[in-house]
Amino acid sequence: MGKYVLKRLVYIVIVFFVISFLMYALYNLIPTDPARAQLEPMRQQLKPEEYIRMYKQLRKEMGLDDHLVIRYARWMGIIKGLKGKFDGLLQGNFGYSQTFKKPVVQQISEPMKNTIFINIFATIAALGITLPLGVYCAVHKGKKFDTTVQTMSILGYSLPIFIISLIFMYFFVVRWGIFPLMGSKTPNATYEPGSWEAFVDKVYHIALPVIVMTFASLGGMTRYVRSSMIEALGTDYIRTARAKGLREKVVIYSHAWRNALLPIITSILAWFLGIFGGSVIIENTFSLNGMGKLYWTGLNTLDFELVLAIQMFYTVVSLIGSLLIDLSYGIVDPRVRVNK
Amino acid sequence: MKKIFAILLSVLLLIGLAACGPKTPVQTDPPSSEKPTTKPTETEAPYVPTDPNYGTVIYGSSTEISGDWGRAFWTNNATDALIRSLIDAYGTIVTDFGAAYVVNPTVVEKMETEIVPGAPPEGQEREEGVNYDTKIFKITIKKGLTYNNGDPITAKDFIASALFACTQEMLDLGAKSTAALTFVGGEAFQKGEADVVTGIRLYDDYTFSFEIVADKLPYYYDITYAGASPMHYKRWFGEDVDIKDDGEGAYFNEAYTLENITPFVEAERFASENRVSAGPYTLETFDKAALQATLVANDKFAGDLYGNKPEVKKIVIIKAEDATWADALKTDIFNVYDHITGGADIDTALDIVDEKGMQYVQYDRAGYGKLMFQCDFGPTQFIDVRHAIAYLLDRPDFADAFTSGWGGLVHGPYGVAQWMYLDSEEWLEDNLNKYTADLDEAKAALDKAGFNLNDKGEPYKDGLRYKKVTEEEAGDYKHNVKLDDGTILMPLIIEWLSTENNPVSELLKVKLAESDNTKAAGVQINRTEVTFSELLNYMYRDASKGDQYKVPTFGMYNLATNFYPAYDQSYYWTLDPVLVEQGYNSNYLFDEQMDKLSMDMVYGVESGDDEKYLGIWRQFIQRWNELLPEVPLYSNTYITVIPDWLLDYEQTAFWGFADAIIGAKIKK
Repeated sequence: MGKYVLKRLVYIVIVFFVISFLMYALYNLIPTDPARAQLEPMRQQLKPEEYIRMYKQLRKEMGLDDHLVIRYARWMGIIKGLKGKFDGLLQGNFGYSQTFKKPVVQQISEPMKNTIFINIFATIAALGITLPLGVYCAVHKGKKFDTTVQTMSILGYSLPIFIISLIFMYFFVVRWGIFPLMGSKTPNATYEPGSWEAFVDKVYHIALPVIVMTFASLGGMTRYVRSSMIEALGTDYIRTARAKGLREKVVIYSHAWRNALLPIITSILAWFLGIFGGSVIIENTFSLNGMGKLYWTGLNTLDFELVLAIQMFYTVVSLIGSLLIDLSYGIVDPRVRVNK
Repeated sequence: MKKIFAILLSVLLLIGLAACGPKTPVQTDPPSSEKPTTKPTETEAPYVPTDPNYGTVIYGSSTEISGDWGRAFWTNNATDALIRSLIDAYGTIVTDFGAAYVVNPTVVEKMETEIVPGAPPEGQEREEGVNYDTKIFKITIKKGLTYNNGDPITAKDFIASALFACTQEMLDLGAKSTAALTFVGGEAFQKGEADVVTGIRLYDDYTFSFEIVADKLPYYYDITYAGASPMHYKRWFGEDVDIKDDGEGAYFNEAYTLENITPFVEAERFASENRVSAGPYTLETFDKAALQATLVANDKFAGDLYGNKPEVKKIVIIKAEDATWADALKTDIFNVYDHITGGADIDTALDIVDEKGMQYVQYDRAGYGKLMFQCDFGPTQFIDVRHAIAYLLDRPDFADAFTSGWGGLVHGPYGVAQWMYLDSEEWLEDNLNKYTADLDEAKAALDKAGFNLNDKGEPYKDGLRYKKVTEEEAGDYKHNVKLDDGTILMPLIIEWLSTENNPVSELLKVKLAESDNTKAAGVQINRTEVTFSELLNYMYRDASKGDQYKVPTFGMYNLATNFYPAYDQSYYWTLDPVLVEQGYNSNYLFDEQMDKLSMDMVYGVESGDDEKYLGIWRQFIQRWNELLPEVPLYSNTYITVIPDWLLDYEQTAFWGFADAIIGAKIKK
């Protein structure tokens, strides 16, 4: 087991460097000029010769004239930076946001908290609905309820999330006035930050996005649980259990459900790892300050250090996540050995 | 398992409770607190506000707040800038309602100017037309001005910002400014070659001066160099930092080091709680999670340049989304939304105004959408081709279609809100060619340009037009055809570059590129779509981003341009190849008269000589209209939706929300 984990960690390091270089190179292929973008607002105040001098100086300061590999190595912290010390990703410096003019770590912290806050609710709500719903549909396979759920889940699965958002907004906000339209705080509210009222207000604001996210994710997991459960219910040991005269509830929850859970566990783990990832569409539609929105802003403003930092974070989460998922197989299913 | 289910149920219940909760939290400012208590007159019904946020402006901003209040040294985010202009005021030089730069009478007691005669550097002869004189702006500020916490504002506070901008520490902190190049001795101070900035002087608690380098003078807008606003330097740099002047120039004391000031600067840039500022409003809170800023009126504010003080006591600024701004207005999420443009959006806004009994103000954009030509290669190098394209497009119809009637048309590089336009309306009407759509005029212009041959070099009858060109005219234009006898023919194919998902481009495609008139005139327009940054690379021919950009490829671009209160076109039409390579004169129109007029307009006119400026401005506009390096397509009208209780709110392209709200009143 230990050897297997070590080997996987070595792979993770290799994959991390390969992905980081590819992404860095890709973003640097985009024909933009951060130095020009920075100086452009001052252009009218400068005489051309002053502008040219400042522009050249800025390119030098930003290291834009160096070779791609040198810049990558500097960004990663493999070689010394322009200030003469190792100060890259490996040293914990996620870069400097040219849009926000501050270290990326500072810029990411608040959206990350928001995204996790929203996603925790959405993930728990989705699992809370899909697991029992999938089991119920499997047990009542082919009945009217099952058919209805299958149809609805296909609908939720097929509709783009922005369409679902707008439909829900129309009914829940414009028509019925149940939820606020956007944001995570009531404008002009006077409660103390960190108070219970603030928490309730925040939950009230994120309720609709959470409902939309939950609705959109119902289809996939419900169908997954249902099919896994149907498969389990069709096995010989279930027939044996029923032949022994066990109660149906015991057959379903003690025998079938436990075995059906094995493939689902890995999906659930992946969902929980996904709480770090923001939804670009949901956060932009509902004007929520989350990682998806920040990522979108970074792309639109060509703030590549910000975007790269976000992507590298997700790369690390994904790599570690895949290791954890593989390990979880071995933990939940004794038949699977992970040391090979 | 039971526990897991219990937790799941609790969370679902919480969401359910939240969903069934009140539509708006009860702890908002009571709308009834400002209701009038006096009895109405017999003829007038009492005003009963319907806006739940009566008395408070909730401003929906199209860009989100980043939370950087660092005085434009660092970021230029539009909403941050808006908040900064609401909390940091008392500029010595401000723009008035008509967009003219004026001395702020609320702040400045006295301003004197002095020309200091200069001489060329040792060993050099005095050159004709070169200015060697510097100019001093000596300013005495009014006594009694204070920050929002009651701290007095002195001359030191006014020079702190300029002095900081002349230090190397400012650059080390990632900030940008042109101040060191503007003030005498600024550059030497920044490089560490001098101990003081000789061009910044501190005379007493209320008097200071700025001396401007000769290189920047004369300049029609030189009054802008005297602009300064107070910066609480003790908060920005630390209690130990002081500003001194021993008679030679201003400087910071020894406590001003990068190490010492960095924590203070970083804290002050983003500080929202108890922020010390000197504007009409004070930043009360900034919720980083919700990106929501709440500002309250500063009762120590002495007034704007007209003496207005804010009657609206609270402003909340939140982010509006393109897809939902209308619903947000309908559901009272915000009650002020500005910069609404385009027929569909304006119609939506007006429906909301009717439905909710709100109001709107309307103003013209200081800028225009345009077709821009590069005039040094291909067919667009010929003036008559540019004229022909203008004749082929029914511009009033285009403007009407794009703006749905909410826009107008200009015939040169000006905006209808500019004072020059207002003073010249009749003159412009009489002296500019409006290029009214006319197929025959277009054909005549093309004949005149020499595009009167077919692909065999015979006289043109129909199809695509060709012109016999010289080697120099032909250049490397990819569509050129060489006949057996060596004759080079240039086809009338115009390569047009536009940005992706651009509604203007779509309309241009229909009304120009693929129109019957264009085909009938023998013109072919090919459209290519790219991202905006790539479009700029092609436009600037920026070889540093790739060899493909340095080759002149596209003769026509569609873009938009905006004007600032300082109308300065200098260097935009330069003939200097070094500057052109750096992106100046991106029209590649090399006309000596244009270059001279654009330079003389600002660098050949003393500030205050409006008559001379206006004269050159007219000549410049007329020459531009003749050469037609661009075809103006539309100039939008904007509207701002405001609540019914907000009175006297006047907005223009140059007098934005931050200015207008100070003079606005509340209906009682």
